[in-house]
Amino acid sequence: MSSTAEIERRIGNEYEAGFVTDIESDTIAPGLNEDVIRFISAKKNEPEWMTEWRLKAFHEWQKMEKPEWANLKIEEIDFQSISYYSAPKSMKDRPQSLDEVDPELLRTYDKLGIPLHEQMQLAGVAVDAVFDSVSVITTFREKLAEAGVIFMPISDALQEYPELVKKYIGSVVPQRDNYFAALNSAVFSDGSFVYIPKGVRCPMELSTYFRINELNTGQFERTLIVAEEGSHVSYLEGCTAPMRDENQLHAAVVELIAFDNAEIKYSTVQNWYPGDENGKGGIYNFVTKRAIAHTNAKVSWTQVETGSAITWKYPSVVLKGDNSIGEFYSVALTNKMQQADTGTKMIHLGKNTKSTIIAKGISAGRSQSTYRGLVRMNPGATGARNFTECDSLLIGDKCGAHTFPYIESKNPSAIIEHEATTSTVSEDQLFLCRQRGIDTEKAVSMIVNGFCKEVFKELPMEFAVEAGRLLEVSLEGAVG
Amino acid sequence: MAEQFHAQQLAMAKAATALPFLTELKEQGLEAFSQASMPTRKTEAWRFTPLFKFVGNEYVQAQNNELNEELAAVANIEDLNAARLVFVNGVLNTELSDALALEQVTLFSQANAEQQTLIKNNLGSVLAQAHGTSHLFNDLNNASTTEGVLIHVAKNQQLTQPIQVSYLTTDNKVAFSVNTRILMIVETGAQATLVEQYASDSTAQVSFTNAMTEIRVDDNAQIQHYRLVTIQEEAQHIGGTHVELNRDSQYNAFHLSLGSKLSRNDLVVNHNVGGSHSEISGVYVPQHDDLVDFHTCIEHRAAHCTGNEVFRGIINDKARAVFNGRIHIHPDAQKTHSELSNKNLLLTNSAEIYTKPELEIYADDVKCAHGATVSQLDEQASFYLQSRGISKQEANVILSFGFINELLQALPHKAITHLLRPVLARRFGRDTDELSSHLLDKDLL
Repeated sequence: MSSTAEIERRIGNEYEAGFVTDIESDTIAPGLNEDVIRFISAKKNEPEWMTEWRLKAFHEWQKMEKPEWANLKIEEIDFQSISYYSAPKSMKDRPQSLDEVDPELLRTYDKLGIPLHEQMQLAGVAVDAVFDSVSVITTFREKLAEAGVIFMPISDALQEYPELVKKYIGSVVPQRDNYFAALNSAVFSDGSFVYIPKGVRCPMELSTYFRINELNTGQFERTLIVAEEGSHVSYLEGCTAPMRDENQLHAAVVELIAFDNAEIKYSTVQNWYPGDENGKGGIYNFVTKRAIAHTNAKVSWTQVETGSAITWKYPSVVLKGDNSIGEFYSVALTNKMQQADTGTKMIHLGKNTKSTIIAKGISAGRSQSTYRGLVRMNPGATGARNFTECDSLLIGDKCGAHTFPYIESKNPSAIIEHEATTSTVSEDQLFLCRQRGIDTEKAVSMIVNGFCKEVFKELPMEFAVEAGRLLEVSLEGAVG
Repeated sequence: MAEQFHAQQLAMAKAATALPFLTELKEQGLEAFSQASMPTRKTEAWRFTPLFKFVGNEYVQAQNNELNEELAAVANIEDLNAARLVFVNGVLNTELSDALALEQVTLFSQANAEQQTLIKNNLGSVLAQAHGTSHLFNDLNNASTTEGVLIHVAKNQQLTQPIQVSYLTTDNKVAFSVNTRILMIVETGAQATLVEQYASDSTAQVSFTNAMTEIRVDDNAQIQHYRLVTIQEEAQHIGGTHVELNRDSQYNAFHLSLGSKLSRNDLVVNHNVGGSHSEISGVYVPQHDDLVDFHTCIEHRAAHCTGNEVFRGIINDKARAVFNGRIHIHPDAQKTHSELSNKNLLLTNSAEIYTKPELEIYADDVKCAHGATVSQLDEQASFYLQSRGISKQEANVILSFGFINELLQALPHKAITHLLRPVLARRFGRDTDELSSHLLDKDLL
């Protein structure tokens, strides 16, 4: 293929997941009030306590104010113009097996490159696919059940394991934690629930794919992962949405609980629609992710953020137990008019707790990317250790990269190291590549890949490939 | 309580009569201060610096302006040979002040017509460049300025003799406040040294100093600036230093705060034209229940500027230190090279540090880095010294001292190093009876 044709193909393909799937869906009228919440709760056939829990969150939310501290310019969000529930119509009788799934839906996931079917069996990954507000299909449920692992939509879990859900939901991120978490608690429609029993090593990678399809809807999913003593789980999530001119809201909550000696690895590839060159459209992504690590437990967040018009996301770890470990590996790429304010919080409570933060920010176009992090050593965190490295790469002179790390220590034996650098893809580096016959675009992509390598190597294999490709696509048009 | 403090300060500012050529600045200050609300725990710039202890007092103008022997000794920096201006509780002490003999130094109240115009045109102009980083105490200073020091170094003058401005405070029986103001203009190609000293005698006092220094450095000019806050531990200090840098100019500075009940220091350096360079180091060593807060902001507004900033702190007892170091690169400031390092030692279980190095970058072809560390004294290093027959206490003094000494040694004026070395050594060694002579002996430097 000639190079011009290649470029044209790529430009045409800019946001590959930007199609709309034409299927009938069941959407409630826009607006937010108690009735809507009761409707969602009833639709899900939820127990009474859950409805009350949601309403309590709603009342808290009404009292709260939208946070303004982030380094983001956000247009006013009209919470009354959003529809809080949308589900593919054919879902009324949920398919019992893959064969019964609406072929249109399957094609959607195929287009997204999420092979629900054979490939996944080969790859050995169990997938829970969430389309708009509801979970469409969860694969490998039986196989997982054999190992004692529960992996199902949270709405199913509320039916089948209400006690478990009741015990843990809101225990890490309470309803009134923050504005968007409160909103999510009130209106969340689905999400995944994972329970790994004591001593079990989850036999396969678990994965959830989120897809917003319907116009004017918001997506509010809630993920809850409980890893009992000595268990181990690796979980991946991916997200996409169609190209639309309006901004769509996505407010998710993820809660992780790692009991003694347990390990949770949570990876995200976030590719919501970022909006066009002029900042029209795109997803507003407000996510609260938090984990509690008990004694000797380990929680690791890995994220590749390339999508969303606005990203507001701070995956945190509360290192409650002694010797617990928290890790955060992140690549946040912003292009066009995207804005990202993202980072992590490591709260050290226990003795000899350790945390590592590696954050890489890449800004191109007219985008702004911000790292905002907190490392706090409480008085009890004797011998705790933190290492933070956040680097920013700037491509083009209209973008911005910012770093706001908060470092607080109340324990003298805790050691904190923080370093940050900001630089650009230098002419020298580009020259060297060009001199060896590598064109500029390819060279930039190589340099960026090298810059992110530390994070990519933390991703599960299949995702690492996808992430690399995603960066390449997202960076198109950023140079020359 | 905060409202009371606000009202009371406003009334005091209103009652003070401004010099005729400064009424405009006063009006602006009053206007801004009367509209500003007192910072709360939610105000980002004051999150870790609560003012509740501070606002409880009813401050009046100081009455006692007597110089005592101890104060005179404090203001005497050996071997510096500086031209001095010494203020006691805000009032000039003519006995010790010989700097007025220099053509470069004038009090606002004694300024001639030409100088009045210079002051009128420049006072507040550097401060006004600090968008977003200025706060209500700056407005209060504008509103309360009745006197000030003008240091005007004319074109191509190389002033080798340092100018020392000492603001001393001493007990006044009741709580009192002092407003200080310095305007320094270093014209094209000129060079000067300014030693700003905020100190007091050892008698406990309830004082509040609101200090403001503005420095304009013109093309090719250079300034060496020392700002030493060594006030008594009950005293309270809120001070701002605002610097404007023009083409190829240089600002070299050393900032020190020993720590007191409240010591808040803002430093804003505006790199307005290309080629300018700032080289800043700083030290804070709070103890007991002191609170030291440094907020520094390096504004890069033009291309081809460089900056380097190093701050180190040792926090003892129940003290708290806050460090906020911001590097802000504006959209056109290409080819900027700016760095910041902040290292902290916590000596006890109840000491606290809140550090936040910030980078805010809107230009792509820049190199910026910042680093921050928090830890305690290195046990292995301490063990090494002990294995050589040095007591544990003294080993820790040596290590603490070594942490700071690097910055002290680098000071171009050895007189300042000599002044501070024993002060810091005694502070670190306050629990030991005998300090090794080499820590105090200046000849061994």
